[in-house]
Amino acid sequence: MNPSTKYSEQELVTMLQARNDQSFGYLYDNYSGALFGIIKGIIPDEEVVRDVLQEVFVNIWKKIELYDAAKGRLFTWMMNVARNAAIDKLRSRSYQDSLKNRAIPENVDLNMPGAIVSQQGDDVGLKKVLTRLKEEHRILIDLSYFQGYTHEEIAKALNIPLGTVKTRIRSALMQLRNMIQ
Amino acid sequence: MNIQDYISSGIVESYVLGLASPEERVEFESLCVQYPELVAARTNFELSLEKQLLRDAPAAPRDLKQTVMNLVNDQSSINQTKIITMQTSNANRGSSSLRWVAAASVILFLGFGFLAYKYYSQVENLKKENSTMAAEKESNDSTFNQLAIENKLMKEVMDNPNVAAVNMVPTTPGNPSASIYWDSTNSNVFMVVKNMPKLPSDKQYQLWALIDGKPKDLGLFDVGDKKVILKMNNTQKADAFAITIENRGNTGGPNLQQLQNMGKAKL
Repeated sequence: MNPSTKYSEQELVTMLQARNDQSFGYLYDNYSGALFGIIKGIIPDEEVVRDVLQEVFVNIWKKIELYDAAKGRLFTWMMNVARNAAIDKLRSRSYQDSLKNRAIPENVDLNMPGAIVSQQGDDVGLKKVLTRLKEEHRILIDLSYFQGYTHEEIAKALNIPLGTVKTRIRSALMQLRNMIQ
Repeated sequence: MNIQDYISSGIVESYVLGLASPEERVEFESLCVQYPELVAARTNFELSLEKQLLRDAPAAPRDLKQTVMNLVNDQSSINQTKIITMQTSNANRGSSSLRWVAAASVILFLGFGFLAYKYYSQVENLKKENSTMAAEKESNDSTFNQLAIENKLMKEVMDNPNVAAVNMVPTTPGNPSASIYWDSTNSNVFMVVKNMPKLPSDKQYQLWALIDGKPKDLGLFDVGDKKVILKMNNTQKADAFAITIENRGNTGGPNLQQLQNMGKAKL
């Protein structure tokens, strides 16, 4: 395949659904980095991130029939496949056990919001954008997007009303949008 | 609904990033069908996000591509057809061992179901048998009690020195016979039936006492019921006893053509 070839999203989807493995190579070349970044934003352990990324690509290949263009773009779909896989991994027993073995606290104390936001300097993607948000917004996006907590769980953990959680998350998302536009 | 307010509520971003609740997703998707401006807002955010994330993307491990490509090729060479989509619902975990476990558990389940059914029906049968036996036992018990009472009665009758035993002699050979036990002191008459055949349902045996050549009704009776010793009507006097066959419920005199047997009282 000519590396400079650019496919439209529709072409790519059609080829993927026809099980064209060249199109899959193209998909990897063009999107693996972004998906890697999404997983990395959720799971700090690079080895685990690799495993999840591998699983995500195999799943994209297997589940491509489930992609519905009416509901959004291919990238959006893949991004959500990656995020869901990463959060599932984060919550998995095996991952939690491996954390214990390394003597890292199993559960981040939600009542100490300052502690939960990643302190890593090499933040990428959304996480990098996130650093520009106000603290109270940053926490909520971190908990909901990067840690996969529901609004209800967040409201309970932070002891703030559910309505407030929802409003703040929506407001944070609007700021996020303005930052990337 | 004011669609502009909806668009600027943050729902678009929430939906795209996968943070919307299932209800919100359903609502959003149905509104997308109605409002092209909502779809435009969604696509707009998606493109911004995509651009940002692709531009900002770290490098994925290079060696991983070959691994992934190999995995995918294995997948597609094994499963060229739609079977691949069938497996997706198992999210990559449709390993053959798991399928064996599933198959085994189905078989086990069916096995247990069969055993459970078998034991259930056995228990039901045992219950039935048990209740049948209980009924039989009850009936045996009552028979036994009856026999015990009769036995006691018979013993009293036999042991009583005032009781005279009268053997009823068949009038023609082969006719039934019986024994009468008559206590002349208290007029009690008991009868022990011996090989008396059962009669048609419209007929009954009748015992008579003959006093000065005249018959006195001592009672109609059926044989075949369990009673061995029958208490008949009392009589103070009797020269002889006779048994005839009469129409059921006979109120008239004896039908002497049907005289079965007779016995003389020895008093």
